[in-house]
Amino acid sequence: MLEQVVYALPFLLDGFWITLIVSALTVSISLVVGVVLGCALIYGPQSLKLAIRLFSDTIRGIPILVLIFFVYYGFPAIGLDLDAFNAAVTALTLFKVAQVIEYVRGAVQSIPAGQTEAARAIGLTFTGRLRYVIFPQATRRFLPPWINGVADAVKGSALVSLLGVVDLMHAINQVIGRTYEAMPLYILGAVIYFAVNYSLSLLSRYYERRFSYIQA
Amino acid sequence: MSDQSAPVLRIRKLKKSFDDLQVLDEVDLDVAKGEVVTVIGPSGSGKTTLLRCVNFLEPYQSGSIKIDGREVGYLDEANKRPRGERELARIRSDIGMVFQSFNLFPHLSAAENVMLGPIKVRGKPRAEARELAEHWLGRVGLSDKIDSLPAELSGGQQQRVGIARAVAMEPKIMLLDEITSALDPELVGEVLAVVKTLANEGMTMLVVTHEIAFARDAANRIVFMSDGKIAAEATPDEFLRLSDEIPRLEAFLARFRATHF
Repeated sequence: MLEQVVYALPFLLDGFWITLIVSALTVSISLVVGVVLGCALIYGPQSLKLAIRLFSDTIRGIPILVLIFFVYYGFPAIGLDLDAFNAAVTALTLFKVAQVIEYVRGAVQSIPAGQTEAARAIGLTFTGRLRYVIFPQATRRFLPPWINGVADAVKGSALVSLLGVVDLMHAINQVIGRTYEAMPLYILGAVIYFAVNYSLSLLSRYYERRFSYIQA
Repeated sequence: MSDQSAPVLRIRKLKKSFDDLQVLDEVDLDVAKGEVVTVIGPSGSGKTTLLRCVNFLEPYQSGSIKIDGREVGYLDEANKRPRGERELARIRSDIGMVFQSFNLFPHLSAAENVMLGPIKVRGKPRAEARELAEHWLGRVGLSDKIDSLPAELSGGQQQRVGIARAVAMEPKIMLLDEITSALDPELVGEVLAVVKTLANEGMTMLVVTHEIAFARDAANRIVFMSDGKIAAEATPDEFLRLSDEIPRLEAFLARFRATHF
């Protein structure tokens, strides 16, 4: 069994690397885009709000797998011919953006209206209110669910294997295809995924505890 | 108390409605420099809304609100086009407000709550703002709580920070919105004592309150609101006599008399 692990490890590490890259791209792009769109959903003009709401509800109503196939096989019809890696990252990012939008909305709207009023009363403008009063508080509420969402992104990235991208999941299947030893490899794969996600969940719990005394 | 110059706050024919409900109906009110005016009245009489209109937390449909002769929320009296964000913020920075639910910034210490306006709105250097915060927190009796977070303070202490945050902006007028209503009874006194000191030092204030005894002791003038109108207006001495003539005021004060006399 140790022998098999030693044999498989280099392949798995290559795959793990791809898993990390896919996750990192998904998480970072979706964070930037999601925060911008989330703010637009709260403070933007009515038409923009409507468009973002429609986008978010639609995306969140579709299974990620369907979204991945839709981007890979469907987008060429509208002239967007992405290779497997880019299609997978695009689909995962779209899904994640929709989630981040909701985290942002939830975090910002959970700040009581009195905070905005107090900020207005001392003469802060819109940007000052967001920067010094709303965002510092909203960030604390945004972080725990978002970090959990990062763990989801790492797990969800296993779906890219279905487009032939050789991530950790695909690498595991390839090695099994050569050795016909499924169980040890799936266990090994599970341990690697678990190690990443459990660390993230510890981090999330840490932030939750750290900010829990803030009761607005 | 009122001097000859123009009033700090001048409200004329103020009308405000939420949908079909007329909340403020042709309200006229002046507050002179150094004057303390308390507004009393039953719940739903429009007193809090009146206060919130003064620094434009609430828009209104018609009438005029001027601070030092300058229209607050709208570009001019007739044309109800709201002011731009920056202009409005500048005008608001001269109007201090203390809230019923304190509304301290929970992520900032007591000192930082007081310093935020002076630094970000007035552009004061940090060190100077810190001195200002220490001064005002000292004045409200919180010298030992300067670096405490709001969550670590009692309600009365939080409200005193709220007062310090408002006065540190050196406002032309202070608006106090039922600032003791959310406090445990034993904490009301410490907050009202701070307000009385400010009043004695000549701070101009418009105070909405349920504390009739406080309204009587600290005010130059008491205004009684009922159904969105100013139903009576008098000095504290005349006020209790007025109630004989105005049945609604009598009814309102009856409960107070039952418990306090």
